[in-house]
Amino acid sequence: MRRTTFYTVILVLLAMVRGASASPQDAILSKAGKAYTAGAYAEAADLYRKVADGGFESPELFYNLGNAYFKQNDFTHAILWYERAKRLDPGNEDINFNLNVANTKIADKIEPLPELFYKRWYNSMVRLMAVDTWAMMGTGMFIAALLGLVLYTASRVLFLRKVGFWSALLLFFFTFITLLMAWSGYTFSQSARDAVLVTPTLTVKSSPDEKSTDLFVLHEGTKVRLVDQISDWYEIRIANGSVGWLPKSSLEII
Amino acid sequence: MARAFIIPLCTFLVLATSSGWSQDVKLTAQTKQVVAVGETFTLSYTLNGQGNGFRGPNIQGFNVLSGPNTSTSSSIRNINGTTTMSITYTYTYLLQATREGSFDIPAATVTVNGRQVVSNPLTVKVVKGSAPTGNQGTSGNRGGNTQQGGGGLGANDVYVKAFTSNSSPMQGEGIVVTYKIFTKVPIANINISKLSSFSGFWSQNLMKENDKLQQTTQVIDGEQYVVADIRKIALFPLKSGRLVIDPLELNCVAQVRRQTRTRTGDPFFDDFFNDSFFNTGVANVEKTLKSNPVIITARPLPEEGKPADFSGAVGNFTFRSEIDKTRLKTNEAVTLKCIVSGRGNIQLIDKMNVSFPPDFETYDPKVTSDIQTAAGGISGNQTFEYLMIPRKPGKFTIKPITFSYYDLDKKRYVTLSSPEYTLEVEKGTGESSSVMTYSGANKEDIKYIGSDIRHIKENTITLVSAGTRFFPSLAFWLLLAIPALLYLLFLVLWRKLAARRSDTVLMKNLRATKIARKRLRTAEQFRKGGKQDEFYIAISQALWGYLSDKFGIPLAELSIDSVREALVSRNVDESIIAQFMETLNNTEFCRFAPGEKTINMDRIYNEALEIITKMERELR
Repeated sequence: MRRTTFYTVILVLLAMVRGASASPQDAILSKAGKAYTAGAYAEAADLYRKVADGGFESPELFYNLGNAYFKQNDFTHAILWYERAKRLDPGNEDINFNLNVANTKIADKIEPLPELFYKRWYNSMVRLMAVDTWAMMGTGMFIAALLGLVLYTASRVLFLRKVGFWSALLLFFFTFITLLMAWSGYTFSQSARDAVLVTPTLTVKSSPDEKSTDLFVLHEGTKVRLVDQISDWYEIRIANGSVGWLPKSSLEII
Repeated sequence: MARAFIIPLCTFLVLATSSGWSQDVKLTAQTKQVVAVGETFTLSYTLNGQGNGFRGPNIQGFNVLSGPNTSTSSSIRNINGTTTMSITYTYTYLLQATREGSFDIPAATVTVNGRQVVSNPLTVKVVKGSAPTGNQGTSGNRGGNTQQGGGGLGANDVYVKAFTSNSSPMQGEGIVVTYKIFTKVPIANINISKLSSFSGFWSQNLMKENDKLQQTTQVIDGEQYVVADIRKIALFPLKSGRLVIDPLELNCVAQVRRQTRTRTGDPFFDDFFNDSFFNTGVANVEKTLKSNPVIITARPLPEEGKPADFSGAVGNFTFRSEIDKTRLKTNEAVTLKCIVSGRGNIQLIDKMNVSFPPDFETYDPKVTSDIQTAAGGISGNQTFEYLMIPRKPGKFTIKPITFSYYDLDKKRYVTLSSPEYTLEVEKGTGESSSVMTYSGANKEDIKYIGSDIRHIKENTITLVSAGTRFFPSLAFWLLLAIPALLYLLFLVLWRKLAARRSDTVLMKNLRATKIARKRLRTAEQFRKGGKQDEFYIAISQALWGYLSDKFGIPLAELSIDSVREALVSRNVDESIIAQFMETLNNTEFCRFAPGEKTINMDRIYNEALEIITKMERELR
């Protein structure tokens, strides 16, 4: 009796999270998929765009949209949408592959600054899965750990009590780790926003003023990190550590 | 202060020595001040002394035809008994003016008696060659006066004109540009000095260099001209739009029958020599001729219906392909020939779109051209010979080779294609496979033929409303909090239950002796009353009930075996267990045994009392 209520609660919660999949969107998606396969990339992009603009998101949707732009040789928007897909699913191999291909097509080549090895490992671990996936794993492990404790408390057999105790201990540890990953990923995504340049050629300024010194030139498709903003300007940082100011209209946030 | 004096002093000394010496020996440069383009003239340096190591000037802006040529003359004079000998060295250059402008000829130097003598620099002005300079012709010697200017040659006497067969061709369509010379006077030594580079065109000369000029006569405006083609060029515009062909320039020598004027200063002699009888000389007039520039407006090829493999061929072509074998063994060579023949810019076709099977070893094609250049344009055939060697057995197909061109007659694109070839490659014999053994293992890396992004995902899309995040959301916290609360609830309930259960067991344990003694007292009363059956039941109940309460075994599970097991697990002494069992057995035996039972009642009662007391002590 207790167990069934437990499952019901989980199912209700999951339904709240995932949302009911809408059938009209599915129709548009399958139409877009057919258009893409038939080579009508512009049409496919429009259809995917329609779904995305309708307030839906999914890594696969953004990935497909990126592909549709790529096939039209619009590498800038392809990169933008691949990056958006990557945001939702950082560890996806296909997304990363296509993003790399698209990045070879753009003008700017920026040597990224090397990170400290443990920082790099930590970051690559955080990026292994989406924040939500980490969080779900964490809750699952938490529940499993509690079940282990139940076993430890209730069993009269010594062996089962031992199993329950140790598994609970281990699962609590993993819960801690996964929730730490989820939290790291979440704070990271909240604190640092990335953007892609959508204007063909841009001069990065030394201060948020049109008349200030020109620092360096960037081309469309380059990813930058937003550091600060003042009125119509963003302070940006590129992968090699250079910092400057760009007008807001020249960027599209990932 | 001292230094300020020294420098002017030194300068003075140098000036003094050089000026004193230069009064004796001089190097004097001489030439014409004004020359015409194309004119040949001399530049001479005269040295009134004996010098050596003549270093000529760096002459720029002129063609040096010859020089420096050295000549020497010496003279001995005897004036009033004093004999002086003078030697004159002359260094001569023969120069030709090439372009208009003012040119400086820098100074030359020569060494005389170990000292350098510097000449004067010169400036020569080169003017337009409108007035060709007569050179020393046959008649010149007679009057001692060379012919200057082309006074005898009319502007229309000789000229060059460019003609084009079509001034607005399609891009890639062949046109013929002909340069013709028109002349009324005999001419010789036609020498083309400047030919357009035909930028924007692919050109092919249609006349052989050493061809004799074909002369025809033509009457233009009532005057008879001799006309000859001097150049004939087939041109194929490489791009569309306005293309300019620069004028052709040539030098020639026109022979002008002309009176030479001798200026003797005596009117009689002048008349005499200028009489036509004496004046039989012919003046060779050098003339530079320039044709008109030709403007070609090339029309672009239509975009409509342009095949993907179109590479610029325009004209009228046929296309065929040949393969020498379709069944072969590995490492055998197979030759595929593609032959394009027809009329048009055939030499611009530089490759065929052959898609070879990826496992084949292929080489650059051998291209053979067989081109006929006729006055009307270019025709012929272009053969591409592809050599390929299959390295792996199997069945391979060579997709149809297509060749597209723009047909000028039909005014549309035409695509011709070859048949598809299927090659059956069998595994070759041992000797040929030995070629491949150097690779060691019979494995090779995967060949990447192309690269592309990965395909879209179609079936696995799960849409989520934008902005919905599981972490951190209420659902996430609930999913953590609810199980935790449930567990706490469980823990509380479990504790309560356990406490209650452990209470009853403890109570029974504590009260076990008391109950047993109470039952024994009841049994005592039964014994005194002589109630045998009740006595034995009470004894039995006392013993079994004691065990049940003491060890928490439910009455239903009580048996001799389960009791023994429980006692053993509590480490009760074996003799006590045996005694307890015996007492139990005796009680049961006496209870159900027939006959007089009263005798045993005392013994049984004492035994039971004793064993319970012993057990009490043992379990403490």
